[in-house]
Amino acid sequence: MAGKQTAQEILTSYDGPKLRIMEVCGTHTHEIFRQGIRRLLPESVELISGPGCPVCVTPVGFIDEAVLLTLEKGATLCTFGDLVRVPGTDSSLAQARAQGGRIQVVYSPLDAVEYAKNHPEEQVVFLSVGFETTTPASCLAVSQAEKQGLDNFSLLTANKTMPSAYRALKDSVDVYLYPGHVHAITGTALVESLVEEGVSGVVTGFTARELLTALAVAVTKAREGKPFFVNCYPRVVTREGSPEAQALVARLMEPCNTEWRGLGVIPQSGLRLREEYARFDARRKFDLPAIRGRANPGCRCGEVLQGKCKSTDCPLFGKVCTPQHPVGACMVSNEGACSAYYQYGM
Amino acid sequence: MNNSVTLAHGAGGRQTSELIDRIFKAHFANPLLTADDAAVLEAPKGRIAMTTDGFIVSPAFFAGGNIGKLSICGTVNDLACMGARPLYLSCAFVIEEGYPMDQLEAIAAAMAKTAAEAGVRIVSGDTKVAGKGQVDGVFITTTGVGEILEGVETSGASARPGDAIIVTGDVGRHGCTILLERGEFGIEADVTSDCAPLWGTVEAVLKHTKNVHVIRDATRGGVGTVLYEIAGQSGVGVHLDSTAVPVAPQVRGVCGMLGLEPLYLACEGRLVLVAPREEAEGIVEVLKTCPYSANAAIIGEITETQKGRVVMTTEVGAETLLPQPGGELLPRIC
Repeated sequence: MAGKQTAQEILTSYDGPKLRIMEVCGTHTHEIFRQGIRRLLPESVELISGPGCPVCVTPVGFIDEAVLLTLEKGATLCTFGDLVRVPGTDSSLAQARAQGGRIQVVYSPLDAVEYAKNHPEEQVVFLSVGFETTTPASCLAVSQAEKQGLDNFSLLTANKTMPSAYRALKDSVDVYLYPGHVHAITGTALVESLVEEGVSGVVTGFTARELLTALAVAVTKAREGKPFFVNCYPRVVTREGSPEAQALVARLMEPCNTEWRGLGVIPQSGLRLREEYARFDARRKFDLPAIRGRANPGCRCGEVLQGKCKSTDCPLFGKVCTPQHPVGACMVSNEGACSAYYQYGM
Repeated sequence: MNNSVTLAHGAGGRQTSELIDRIFKAHFANPLLTADDAAVLEAPKGRIAMTTDGFIVSPAFFAGGNIGKLSICGTVNDLACMGARPLYLSCAFVIEEGYPMDQLEAIAAAMAKTAAEAGVRIVSGDTKVAGKGQVDGVFITTTGVGEILEGVETSGASARPGDAIIVTGDVGRHGCTILLERGEFGIEADVTSDCAPLWGTVEAVLKHTKNVHVIRDATRGGVGTVLYEIAGQSGVGVHLDSTAVPVAPQVRGVCGMLGLEPLYLACEGRLVLVAPREEAEGIVEVLKTCPYSANAAIIGEITETQKGRVVMTTEVGAETLLPQPGGELLPRIC
């Protein structure tokens, strides 16, 4: 109790220079809004919701590819539920389903492998989005499909690596709140080395107390004026991370250029299956054409993700774009900044 | 007699009589339930309340109850919310061909037991059998009539600024139980439905004071949806202390894993009461002596400001909006 108050007191009494702190992770965004943490901060500390919700940074073209796979190639799509309502250029997956597309919501990529095994007459494609936390599970799915000799399972990959985003956005941010679960996998060596490039950050967990503690540490260290790194989640996050998960991903996947919604293409920030696993790569397997999606021109999700504008500054927010009828991806997922603003804003 | 229900059981002939005799009469027998076309009943002195509800829960048997118990509780509790003592109930069954007779019997037994506890009599019934695949197992519709206690005027439109909000126990257990029973998430936890008949609870409160403005049972959509309904109907704001809302640790754990808000999970044995502040402590004292409300708590108050909204003080002392209800998370919860 005393600890919590101390963290809160440190935050409310902060009178140093203006600080922009970016919570990179969608789970952090959601919890910060749910707990009303923004309202405890002084005006000089601004929290920016960064590009850490996998659904939010998935580009329109990815949805278009998925729609094409099911409607024209006849594939069965297995996906996390959040993606179903994300608008594509012409159609969301929900609309594709209404037109006869086969779309299964799953809770794990391994469920998709199981589905493929039980439906040998169907070609099953798992929509593999996400960061370091979910990529190992996608790799595990491919590895299992290979072991079981399945030739009807593949991934449509949009996997991304978080540290690339840290570098890309470093000029819009003073301190990062690094997501604990990502760094439980990757370790902290890389973000520690970012300190030399002037990038500051704190790794933290996901409860209200953990977030408040990390914010208090961030403002205290920032006042010292030097770039810093602090691991506030040591019971979960180590310097090395998870060597097993890292090795699994490295065995199956390799870095590639990838598009982030709103941020554009960040070089080498994506992951795709290696040549040896090309038969599990839906793009190669189905010979997909290059697709360039078009987002609604009024949508400002891209700027929201970079902290250049607030959700409430977007002309579509709350009017044509709501959680029931999302226009931009940030309104779809519970972890999206716009959805959080809409649901918890007062 | 066959050990599963056949189409002949619903055809109105000898086998229908057999089914009724063996299952329904055996369990529901009372002087008002006769073989005539309609029940003939004494009219109560006061105003009557009447309600009807269909039950299609899947699975039909779950930890803490089954569709039979639920079908009595749901209707009895709706009557209780209007301050009405449940008197008479009708029940209509739609049964799928091939449904196991022993399960039907277990359902009827649970209905009889729950009705007896609530002091309500089943006075009329109907049985239909549909072909395999035309319904899923068994669906039950119950209709209830009750007598409103004199001097009681509860309505969702009667909440007043300054009133206290009371919940009669920990929230979200029924929804969480059904979610786990479906087994789609691969999570196991020791959670039991809160399904219970609440007339005894309401009667105890109303014996203590009739100065209660709103009573609602938090079923589909949970306590959160009820609070938004009250805010809308009464044209007031709701202020909630999130740390005061009782939630079982298992339910909190499951919700944490799946990113669910316990306030939006269904209950089947919990009431939300709104009463003048000065009555609140007394009501909670009474509730704590009743079997289904030992964890009753004051969780917030009605406000003049923030009309139509539910504002919550969080565990770190900040204020935030409880997100608007988004509809039931699961189909076929009750």
